[in-house]
Amino acid sequence: MKNKVITTVLTVFLIISALFMAGGLRIAGTMISSMNGLNELAVMTEYLQMHKGTYDEDAFEHFVETHDYIKASMVVDMLNIRNANITYQGETLEKYLMDNGFVVQNEEFDFLLNMDNEIAVVRDGEIGVPVYYAQELGVGVGDVITLHEGDYSKKLTVSTIIRDSSMNPALTSSKRFLISLSDLEEISLHTGEWEYLFEFLLEDGATAAVLEKDYMDAGMPSNGVALTGSALTMLNTLSYGVVAFIIIAISIILIMIAVLCLSYIIRATMAEENYTIGEMKAIGFPQKTIKKLYQVKYLMLVLVAGVLGYLLSIPFGDFFSSSIVMYCGYGTSEWMKWIFPFIGVILLSLIVLHRCRRIIHKNLKSTVVELMRGEEKIKKEGHYSLPSAGLKHRNLTIALGELRCKWKEYIVIFFIFAVSSFLILLPMNMKNTVENPSFMTYMGVGESDIRIDIQYSEKLAEQKAAALSFLENDSEITKYAIYQNGYVQFVNADGDFEYLRVENGDQSVFPLEYLEGSAPDDGKKIALSYLIASESGKKVGDSLMVTYQGEELLFTVSGIYQDITYGGKTAKAAIDFDENDVEVYIIYLEVRDGVTVSEKTNELRSILTDSKITPINEFVSQTLGGIMDNLGLVERAAIMISFLLIMMITVMFLQLITAREHSEIAIKKAIGFTNKDIRIQLGIRILIIQFVAIIVGTILSNYLGEAIFGLMLSSMGASKIIMLVEPVTAYLLYPVAQLLMVLITVIVGTKVVRNYHIRNQIME
Amino acid sequence: MIKVEQISKSFKDTQVLQGISFEIKKGDFVAVMGPSGSGKSTLLYSISGMDSLSSGNVFFEGINISEMPEDELSEFRLNKMGFVFQNAHMLKNLSVFDNIILPGLVAKRESADDIRKRALELMKRMGIEGIKEHDIREVSGGQLQRASICRAMINNPEILFLDEPTGALNSSATDQVLKILDDLNRDGMTIMTITHNPHVATQAKKVIYIKDGQIAASKEFQAGADRVEELDEWLKGF
Repeated sequence: MKNKVITTVLTVFLIISALFMAGGLRIAGTMISSMNGLNELAVMTEYLQMHKGTYDEDAFEHFVETHDYIKASMVVDMLNIRNANITYQGETLEKYLMDNGFVVQNEEFDFLLNMDNEIAVVRDGEIGVPVYYAQELGVGVGDVITLHEGDYSKKLTVSTIIRDSSMNPALTSSKRFLISLSDLEEISLHTGEWEYLFEFLLEDGATAAVLEKDYMDAGMPSNGVALTGSALTMLNTLSYGVVAFIIIAISIILIMIAVLCLSYIIRATMAEENYTIGEMKAIGFPQKTIKKLYQVKYLMLVLVAGVLGYLLSIPFGDFFSSSIVMYCGYGTSEWMKWIFPFIGVILLSLIVLHRCRRIIHKNLKSTVVELMRGEEKIKKEGHYSLPSAGLKHRNLTIALGELRCKWKEYIVIFFIFAVSSFLILLPMNMKNTVENPSFMTYMGVGESDIRIDIQYSEKLAEQKAAALSFLENDSEITKYAIYQNGYVQFVNADGDFEYLRVENGDQSVFPLEYLEGSAPDDGKKIALSYLIASESGKKVGDSLMVTYQGEELLFTVSGIYQDITYGGKTAKAAIDFDENDVEVYIIYLEVRDGVTVSEKTNELRSILTDSKITPINEFVSQTLGGIMDNLGLVERAAIMISFLLIMMITVMFLQLITAREHSEIAIKKAIGFTNKDIRIQLGIRILIIQFVAIIVGTILSNYLGEAIFGLMLSSMGASKIIMLVEPVTAYLLYPVAQLLMVLITVIVGTKVVRNYHIRNQIME
Repeated sequence: MIKVEQISKSFKDTQVLQGISFEIKKGDFVAVMGPSGSGKSTLLYSISGMDSLSSGNVFFEGINISEMPEDELSEFRLNKMGFVFQNAHMLKNLSVFDNIILPGLVAKRESADDIRKRALELMKRMGIEGIKEHDIREVSGGQLQRASICRAMINNPEILFLDEPTGALNSSATDQVLKILDDLNRDGMTIMTITHNPHVATQAKKVIYIKDGQIAASKEFQAGADRVEELDEWLKGF
């Protein structure tokens, strides 16, 4: 290969592709190993039912005894303490959405592990803090957590950070703190409310669905969320898998680009070497030998790229999987993070080499004469006409004309520019969509400012009344609505009983945009979340039978909406829940213009001390938790990669195009064009291509991006996302930045035109 | 018109031209001959400003072009010089006609209409008006070479530089090109051509013989003399 720049850029391209391929697979390997490892070592529960309120212990024991597929079971006593009563470094956990429970270490399964993935042990006066808080608040060993209620205060020293196979990720709304039995007993005398976790391990072959049905049929305690092992795994995968998914997606795009570039470069350089190949053929070199000679070059390139890509993927993968490792540890199958990327790099190398082989093989088909005469099999490019009025803007006219004739040569660079623009905009638009207040509409409620959760307590009715009377008289609040949340059962498409979280309240206050149909407007109608509707196969107009307190209620589906809260499985219907069955009252409210949400939140917190008050933007960001952080990371990475890609491809393309057009450049110089003219012409050609590519990339990121985002979030409950674009950044700043990047690269990259000495070119 | 003073040119360690001096007068037809590698083409590109000099000066109508910056030289060449190469290097994305008019449109000395008219006249004179709209790949080498002479003439240059203009042509095409050059010179065009074809050199009024980068000898033909015989005799001396 003649040109060192081209070889270098191509090698860098291949290294980046290999790096992303290996990096993505390393993250995937780490993720699988970590999650499996945590589940294995913690002995994850296979079915977990939360319950608030009293229950019949004998009935539960009887249930376990009479179902022989239950391998083990236990009831975990969890003391829920309101976030306002937990203080860390002088601040309460009030702004956190999580429900915080205090437990002792389990004896049989569902162990809480320390950071070495060993069963954590805490002594009196010590506390194990969920890894979520270690990451969000930076809680570390030796720090102090204070629990307080009235005059009572209990200081606990953090002795370990806890990994929890059931409640680890941000997407799970409960978190467990580990304390000693005597501390738990002492604290319970002063603060908190008990919640019970009914947990089961099953014999091989038994499914959680069977247990769930039997559990329901037997009328076992069920005032709370139920989760199966597979649902927990899915929550984990969603939380940690996004980065791996996006990186692997980017790596696939990069590999496509690398293969495209490689094909283009091989074709371009082979065309220059046709004479040599012709000579070799003429003096009797066997085709195989010539093939090998050329393949060896590319083999060396691929080898270098593969080895470097693999080595670089180690720190790269570890950086992006640091959050998984922090939450789950390294796991039990660490070999995966070494072997997966290795296989990936080998596959990449094979793809690249196969492509090389095919092009070289095709090139060698030409006869000796064709090769030596340089009878390129290239297509006739055709010609353009000079304007009859003369050349007012000579460089523009010539550049446009040449572009018209040579457009096929620009397909590769056009594709890469478009992909780069797409890569920059997609994560940015995703992040912008998620961060916009209107994202709330994917969380099952119309746009509002603040959410108040009044959770199960003995003083539920009292708290509700206090909240409502305050809101009624607060002139800074323009509107509010209260929603009763409780659980009913329904039969899903598989014929199994499933819990359904139903919200009852005035749906017209904060109107929600429905995917299909509309909100329920009478007591006989029910609106279903997208996941419930798709899993149960229900459409608008279908009927749905639900069971509440043993009574069957028949509803007609009035509409389907998107909701990513509570595992995406919710419904809206006018079911008047018994006060004891209300899991939570949620109040949404909107503040008057000019009133800041944060100030109103603080005011409400100081008045409604028993309730959980969260600004909606906090609610969204905390619910999506790691996903948003990850999107931010990916956004920055995508921008960097895209700009690097744009620069490299422009450098490489300029090298190829100037080498290919050296004779035309020389002719132009001979007939009076200056170096500057020629550089401007090259620049115009590339910038026009890039301009069109940016438009295509932008359109793609809007439309295809919505589909991709919908696909990503459909497993969470939102399938149809309207991408919200920040126009100044997306349509002005980034395109201008990309164009500038190319312009600068062109200015530097076309300096080579000066070296094309007329004499050398003409005399060649 | 052109005064070449002690020009030398070297590539790395190789001295290609050594202290060459001569003059070309207006209306001259100079042929430069010499064995392969003697420095003929280097001499042409050096004095036309297409290549830089290691030392020495070239004066074009009194202006020292060896000291001109690159872009200024481009402009100078565009207006004052015409070039014809061994292979008719043309832009492949333009028709034969547009290739011819392009230097005229770039120079903008005349209106676009006048340039087109001139190009047509030149093509008629060269006998290639029929290939006007053709793609450059669709025409013969002889036609293309005549088209490149038209291109070289489009800005009414003061001198025409030719580098082996018939090197890639068959004998009938060579004769056509030589006839055109002869006509142009009769009309007053100054011409300098590089050739190792004695047949081409006999068209010239003056022949310079280069050997090892130096002028070995030069000769002016006498009017009415048998140039072929005279040149054969002269070349035997080298």
